[in-house]
Amino acid sequence: MSSTWGMIAGLILAIAAFVYTFWPENSFASQRQKTRLDYLLERKEQLYENLRDLNFEYRAGKYPEEDYAAQRAVLESEAAQLLSEIDYLQQA
Amino acid sequence: MATFGSFALLIALALAAYNLLAGGVALRLLATGQPAPITPERLADTARRAGIACFFAVTAAAFALIYSVFTNDFSITYILEHSNRALPGAYKFSAMWSGQEGSLLLWAWLLATYGFVLRLTHKMDVKLYAYAGTILAAVQVFFLAILNFAAPPFALFRGEIPPDGNGLNPLLQYPEMVIHPPMLYLGYVGFCVPFCFALGALMMRYPGEKWIKITRGWTMVTWLFLTCGIFLGMHWAYAVLGWGGYWGWDPVENASFMPWLTGTAFLHSVMMQEKKGMMKSWNVWLIFATFLLTMLGTLLTRAGLVSSVHAFAQSSIGTWFYVFMLIVLGTCIFTYVLQRSHLKSDAHVESLVSRESSFLFNNLVLLVACFVILWGTLFPILSEYVQGSKVTVSAPFYNAVAIPIGLFLLFLTGVGPLLPWRAASLRAIKRNFIVPVIAFWATAIVVLVAGDRPWHDGAFDSGQFYALVAWSVSAAVFAAILSEFLRGGAVIRKQTGSNLFASMVLLTRRNTRRYGGYLIHIGVVIIVIGLAGAAFNRSQEQELGLHDRLAIGPYTLDCVGFSDDSNSNYDSQFALLDVYKGGKKQFQMSPEKRTYLASQQPQTMVAIHSTLEWDLYVVYEGVNPSNGHPIIKAFLNPLVSWIWAGVLLIIFGTFIALAPPITPTTAALRVPVARTVPAEPAMHGGQP
Repeated sequence: MSSTWGMIAGLILAIAAFVYTFWPENSFASQRQKTRLDYLLERKEQLYENLRDLNFEYRAGKYPEEDYAAQRAVLESEAAQLLSEIDYLQQA
Repeated sequence: MATFGSFALLIALALAAYNLLAGGVALRLLATGQPAPITPERLADTARRAGIACFFAVTAAAFALIYSVFTNDFSITYILEHSNRALPGAYKFSAMWSGQEGSLLLWAWLLATYGFVLRLTHKMDVKLYAYAGTILAAVQVFFLAILNFAAPPFALFRGEIPPDGNGLNPLLQYPEMVIHPPMLYLGYVGFCVPFCFALGALMMRYPGEKWIKITRGWTMVTWLFLTCGIFLGMHWAYAVLGWGGYWGWDPVENASFMPWLTGTAFLHSVMMQEKKGMMKSWNVWLIFATFLLTMLGTLLTRAGLVSSVHAFAQSSIGTWFYVFMLIVLGTCIFTYVLQRSHLKSDAHVESLVSRESSFLFNNLVLLVACFVILWGTLFPILSEYVQGSKVTVSAPFYNAVAIPIGLFLLFLTGVGPLLPWRAASLRAIKRNFIVPVIAFWATAIVVLVAGDRPWHDGAFDSGQFYALVAWSVSAAVFAAILSEFLRGGAVIRKQTGSNLFASMVLLTRRNTRRYGGYLIHIGVVIIVIGLAGAAFNRSQEQELGLHDRLAIGPYTLDCVGFSDDSNSNYDSQFALLDVYKGGKKQFQMSPEKRTYLASQQPQTMVAIHSTLEWDLYVVYEGVNPSNGHPIIKAFLNPLVSWIWAGVLLIIFGTFIALAPPITPTTAALRVPVARTVPAEPAMHGGQP
């Protein structure tokens, strides 16, 4: 490829890149601010997953009864607190 | 093609710069709410599109270079210096990364490719992706600026163009070298993505840990590439360098190992953040450090900062890297100081005997290992700066420190999964540890009975001692992981009524992340078993005339011929050796020494016969000039193939960990939970 053809090919690439970058388009994704409620819902998912893990490990025999009960109580109280805040925000 | 390639690189730089500037301005406008003639969202979208277009421009430049190699365009200095007409096709690709300019172009292309995927998938979380994409554009600007101004791959040769090129470095003319550097680079470059997300999340005070979930796939894929790259490099060193080993603590090997260590620490500790909201600052710094270490690795490999058999370029781009690394570090520190209140942990470690603390110890040990290796790697530079003379740190230093650290890490690999979250009671410890402890002692006794003698003739053999500990701990870790599978499988079997193996498969499919991780740990155990075999390596060197014999271990090598050969790419000398075991001929080996014509550099082609028990590794050392007889060196290296098998399991485990889990629907899985938590079907199952 001679340098002239190289220049022409480069120019075509530049024009294509410019057109693509600035192509007028009205529908682009909006940058919504994540809310406290979004965060709490994510946290809820995680807490439920932690509870599932705990239940499973208990059933697999990794936790003695008293350890399991204590850990589950902690997770459940955390979940209850979280859910009440979610309820409050959803009602608000 | 040189003009087109240069033009494409210039366009790529302009697009990356626009992405950085427009993206930055858009994010600023969004954060402050200032009025602007263009909506910030629209501006941010043009920035994102510029990032996508940048990928095509860098791809065009990379294509131009590859095309020039294949068409033997020696008017380009880079092609002249790193290729020649007789170079086989596959190695023409290797020419792209055999020199500094080409490998920087590969870096830029891989980065653009990662950026392309990132920008295409932006709808996952538009704002977070906008931050990450803008930060990534800054890294792109750096590499593209170097390619345009400091190390241009399309620079033209001045003077009369020679009819043929200088050829590729012979060390790179090996099949693995066609994939090892790209793998390593995919690993290096890939860590840029979680880095950009982490920095972006911190800049925008991203609420929650979702960014970790988003980047988990990126981080794991990157980690896998780096792991494969490191082990391919080990295999290449083993098969090509001809010294009988695979890891020599060479600065460039260390450079790839350091981000692997911090990246591994990050992969573990982010689980703590995701699950418990802990170690937030720690994780942010881990990924910052990992990215900086990948930069250091590139600097070591590309700028010839330290001498290494793996460093294929010497140059003056070091200053660019120092400045860039300082800017990155400064940005990280500034952002951290500004936003540190956002990184407060939701919980703390309650007990030293808990899964949280095992993660913490795991991280500390990995970081200590990284620091030791960093210290050893940079010591020649530091000593030259302080004393005026270069003091090199060699393998015994690293082995003395890294082996105990590695064994402790292996121990933690087994302990971690057995410990419960928050705190472990004595009953829980007894219940979970009994099997691994039995496995440990049983293996230790078997290994001692089998002939491992750490103490013999009044002397202490540290190699055999470490092998004993490594195998015993490996057995304990294996038992611990196996018991995890068996216990989980037993629960599923009760629920589904299927057999234990099918239950374990189902268990893995339901929690791919955890059980894929366990498979990776088993892969590590297998690798450690293989590494420990090095304590029993043997070697024998001998000049072999026709039908002379060399005995090593159970093998006898009979020299049945030696000759010279030649082709358009290289001249070679080789020996033909019949290998006998128990008096019976088993196979033939042909170690070789080549001299490449274009570069006039010699290269060893080792002959290796691998079994699960050991490798017979034969090197053509040279020729006795007085009688023309070849000098052959044979090594018997136990358990080497276990290392490569372990890597395959790590790859398999990583794929499992990356696969989406299946969700059980069986109503029978449900168990009641307290009323305080509203019922959610998925939660009550007690499934993994």
